[in-house]
Amino acid sequence: MTFFKELARSKVGMAGFVILVLFVAVAVLAPWLGLEDPTRGSLRARMVPPDWWGPHPLGTDEVGRDILSRIVYGSRITLMVAGAAVVAGGIVGTFLGILAGYAGGITDRILMRLVDIQLAIPLMMLALLVVAALGPSMVNVVAVLALTSWIRYARIIRGQVLSLREREFVQSARAIGASGWRIMLRHILPNVLTPALVVATLELARIIVMDAALSFLGLGVQPPNPSWGRMLADGRTYISTAWWAVTFPGVAIMLTVLGVNLFGDWLRDYFDPKTRSAR
Amino acid sequence: MRHLGYTAVLAALLGSAAAAQDVTLALTNAVNTLDPHQSASVGLDLSVLSHVYPSLILRGPDMELHPSLATEWEAVDDLTWRFKLVEGAKFANGEPIDANTVAWNIARVTNKDNPTRISSWFTPVTGATVISPTEVEIKTSSPYPALPAQLSMFMLLPPEWAASHDPASETMSGGPYVIERVTPGDSITMTRNPDFFGEAPAFEHVTFRTIPETSSAIAALVAGEVDFINKIPPSELPRISASGVAKGGAVPSTRSVFIKFNTEKPPMDNKMFRQALNYAVDKDAIVDVLFGGEAEVSNCQVMTPAYFGYNPDLKPYVYDPEKAEEMIKESGVDLSRPLEFEVPTATYLQGEEVAQAVAQMFADVGVQTEYRAMEFGAYMDKYRKAHDLGQMSLLGQAWPTIDADGLLTLFKPGDQYAYWNDANFGAALEAGNATTDPDARKAAYADAARIMCEEAPVVFMYAQPATYGVSNKVDYTPRGDDWVRAFDMKPAG
Repeated sequence: MTFFKELARSKVGMAGFVILVLFVAVAVLAPWLGLEDPTRGSLRARMVPPDWWGPHPLGTDEVGRDILSRIVYGSRITLMVAGAAVVAGGIVGTFLGILAGYAGGITDRILMRLVDIQLAIPLMMLALLVVAALGPSMVNVVAVLALTSWIRYARIIRGQVLSLREREFVQSARAIGASGWRIMLRHILPNVLTPALVVATLELARIIVMDAALSFLGLGVQPPNPSWGRMLADGRTYISTAWWAVTFPGVAIMLTVLGVNLFGDWLRDYFDPKTRSAR
Repeated sequence: MRHLGYTAVLAALLGSAAAAQDVTLALTNAVNTLDPHQSASVGLDLSVLSHVYPSLILRGPDMELHPSLATEWEAVDDLTWRFKLVEGAKFANGEPIDANTVAWNIARVTNKDNPTRISSWFTPVTGATVISPTEVEIKTSSPYPALPAQLSMFMLLPPEWAASHDPASETMSGGPYVIERVTPGDSITMTRNPDFFGEAPAFEHVTFRTIPETSSAIAALVAGEVDFINKIPPSELPRISASGVAKGGAVPSTRSVFIKFNTEKPPMDNKMFRQALNYAVDKDAIVDVLFGGEAEVSNCQVMTPAYFGYNPDLKPYVYDPEKAEEMIKESGVDLSRPLEFEVPTATYLQGEEVAQAVAQMFADVGVQTEYRAMEFGAYMDKYRKAHDLGQMSLLGQAWPTIDADGLLTLFKPGDQYAYWNDANFGAALEAGNATTDPDARKAAYADAARIMCEEAPVVFMYAQPATYGVSNKVDYTPRGDDWVRAFDMKPAG
């Protein structure tokens, strides 16, 4: 429970945590919030301005769909895509990072050069190319976002492993004849989970923005399914006559990314022994 | 409004307002090629190039054909058209523009070994014969009454110059303007051609600018940076007029937007199902709500009233979702899997909104669709090259000759664009093509339109409005086809 006590002491961290929890809660509970169908609207109710206590609190979009409902259901898609990409990238990156750090030698060199090569390619460009070539679908978007993400884990985890492998508990495990796989999974993995978690939180924020960018360009989930980036793209023609069509999805993206970033920053400080002693 | 004001101030600081003898026109896309025989895009490449290259005939803002290089023309017999040309016309390099130029250009586009993008317009043309330097005859293998109209989209290159230059990337003027500078993807600037054989255009300098984003184009117009923009959603038109420096408007265009069925794929081969989908779409709602009443509901045909061969007796399928549902049940089609619905993006005015609205209406009668947005080029590859359209797609078609022979040919059995095979419809088109007698042609095409309405190879929807915004400093006659020409405009007042 020291975690929550510490969190309560940091206003900024708490704010980020609350936003993150709200975002997840809204996404998970969306079907029970009694909202309209986000994929069906009535053409006759096109671009209705926000009416806080009426049937469309945040107004309707260019084909008459309820914007509040689209933002809420859009959060499910964002959470699913970003969550899956973070988990996939995290698993691959952590595994390869441990492998590179522990095995060393040629394995390490090949993996790290791979990371260098990929870092040299602009991530957005890589994502655009892959999605444009494979065709837009949720699975492809998750795969491509995970692909842009694994390198960050690999780099950081490898550094951790380099120092861990010289520690006594690893040395002693090796002395009693434990296999390399056993040492990596039982002894090293638990010790790198914390930094992996911190990277994951910060990656989550980056991936949400990238997912929005991809769907803004029409390469994310396909209409009529709601996605925040797509809502921005569709609404921007009407930015001066129907400001609500772009403003609310934009605010949703901004708040979510802000929240995740604030919480991620706090999390990093929390796990960092240096800043911890300073508090 | 305040947003606009700021943009206007900012834009005014960045770009100075055009002088009275200059005009700047905004296009939504960049020019693809400078070769007038390698593009069929009237609203873009051909519009820009018609400032530079001469045509025999021009279609004016009044939609009529006007003499340009050709002073008069007549059908000598069913298979021969004769044209008299202006005397003494020259390209800027001194090459004469005469009957030989016409013959060489006709030969270039009818060369079977090296077809150009527009060769299909001239399939019936067998060749051109030079009678004298100012007289030329064009021969066709079958009657081709729409030839003069088709020639209004055909421009002449200088033959000698073309032997040593690449027309795709260079130009040699013989028209009202000379290209001064091409900044790829950004702008093309031109100056008046002092040696032009025709009437001198009103503006000294013309600039075409590429502005793909609607909101940026409107801001540029209101700021006085550009004098003409088009393809604006009708809901934004009042905002332009309210600015006080420009006005927005709309006229009916010749382009019909419809949902094309690929009747080669089940269940689109089921006629009752195709008819049911026509009953399921609320055309009036689309026209009233999405286009603010500025579009016209199609009268159960892809032709608009402006077309030769339009059938005035046809009425649209009424909106009746219950009837549609019953008919779908009766048709017995399997709806367990969603139907492919391909939508080219950024192509038609509010096309994606229309497509999503239609998908909602289909869902209301129990027909689920799988929406596939794709880039226009990718869509055209599927449509034209791969011959692999999805079960449904959003398509807008027009034929610049404004003649049923052309637009309806796109649905003729055996045509690669048809995706529909109806022998009776084909026979009606053949009948219209076999004669130059206007009344017989009209009757044949009206019959073809009636068959098409009944067989419903598409969901007939609406004729897209041609929307524009034009600066108060410019006198512009709105037109429903796609031509954008500075020499049709004048300084106001």
